[in-house]
Amino acid sequence: MLVYIFLITLMAALTSPIYAAEPTPKITVGTQEVGLSVGYLLPHRLTQDHTTKQEGIVFMPSWMMTLSDPIGNSWYRGQVSLGAEMVYIQFQEPFVTHGVGFTPKIKYTFAALDRIRPYAEFAGGPFWTDLTGKIPEESGQFNFVLSAGFGVSYFLTDQAALNIGYRFQHISNGGTQYPNIGLNASLPYGGFSFFY
Amino acid sequence: MMGKIFSRPLIGSVLAMILGLGTGCSHWIELAVPTDAAPPTSATVATDARVPLLLETIRVTHNGSSIAPPTILERQVLGVIEATHLFSQHYQSGYSQPTADQARVTMRLSIDNLVEPHAGQAAWRGFVIGASMFTLAPFISLNYDYGAEMSLEMERWDGQIKQYTATSNGSAHYNLFGASPDVIEQLKGQVTEACLSSLLNQVIQDSIFYLTSSEQPRGNPIRTVSVGVRHSSPRAIPMSQPIADSSPR
Repeated sequence: MLVYIFLITLMAALTSPIYAAEPTPKITVGTQEVGLSVGYLLPHRLTQDHTTKQEGIVFMPSWMMTLSDPIGNSWYRGQVSLGAEMVYIQFQEPFVTHGVGFTPKIKYTFAALDRIRPYAEFAGGPFWTDLTGKIPEESGQFNFVLSAGFGVSYFLTDQAALNIGYRFQHISNGGTQYPNIGLNASLPYGGFSFFY
Repeated sequence: MMGKIFSRPLIGSVLAMILGLGTGCSHWIELAVPTDAAPPTSATVATDARVPLLLETIRVTHNGSSIAPPTILERQVLGVIEATHLFSQHYQSGYSQPTADQARVTMRLSIDNLVEPHAGQAAWRGFVIGASMFTLAPFISLNYDYGAEMSLEMERWDGQIKQYTATSNGSAHYNLFGASPDVIEQLKGQVTEACLSSLLNQVIQDSIFYLTSSEQPRGNPIRTVSVGVRHSSPRAIPMSQPIADSSPR
């Protein structure tokens, strides 16, 4: 169902008219962004103790608030935004299980290019999953998820953008239970955002 | 019994949420009182002695860089000038002009805007707010400073020139959930209006200089008009209150 909603909204965004009057989208202090991204989790077994090959589809609805006007006058010119993201993972491997988390998120968006805006982001927060009781790396169901990555937004209109990006994701319980080896994964994703 | 046990934490949580959301969504604007602010001036001038005004140029810089003057700013400037009633008609360069032989006053306005968005502070405080899972959002405010320096050159029909300057600045303070582009626009609008008012107040003090004659012909009925500046008092705007509702009448 969520996939259908995503596809319908994506098609609506793609078929929206592109306004030529404003050469660049004007994102200022206080501009809010809501978005939805969908990705697929690919495992990284970084040590010999990591044996689980967790995989699954990831949904990430998010909200962000722009905190600054563009900083700097060179290639690094950009804006800081802060927000929150829900993370839902439906693990397909090694078992069909679920995970859900809530993460505050901070993002730096490079604004030197007009409609193409690369960004770097970091998010972290609590994460619940029933996978971790069934694998050797983790024991408890209450965990934390940390993710850091980069991506690029392409503004279709002044208020709508398509995003693609990559995140490195780490799930562990912060030493609250043992074992706590942690799960690491790559998360390529795509999505869209609306600015208002 | 069960109702009593659960009601206190529940009521406490609801109150905390209401308080948190209420203060987390707040914003307020402060305008600094100009140290050289003169008291509002008004005068009564003869209607027939007034001449047209031509707004020739508006130059705008933004932190030292020249920018095209926004249309809304041009309208705001013309609106404030018209509200003084000092001039008989108001023309803008590029539109219809007064006739060449008609006495007129030519106005050239230069506006230097100084913007300090405190971007580094916002990033750091944003990180702290995020790390606290937004629980600190009601207690940490973000700031945006805006200032305007205006210099006005008024040239009379006979070539005599007078110059005026005015400065104004203010700050917007807002919590994370109270951030909005409207807050910044309100700050800019108020600072600009305060600066324009200060500038035109000085012009009103010289109102005789811009009239074709300080005396009315005898025997004719004298029609007069009161000229002055609508002053907006620099003050803090109550939290989350629309500016339009709190403007002085």
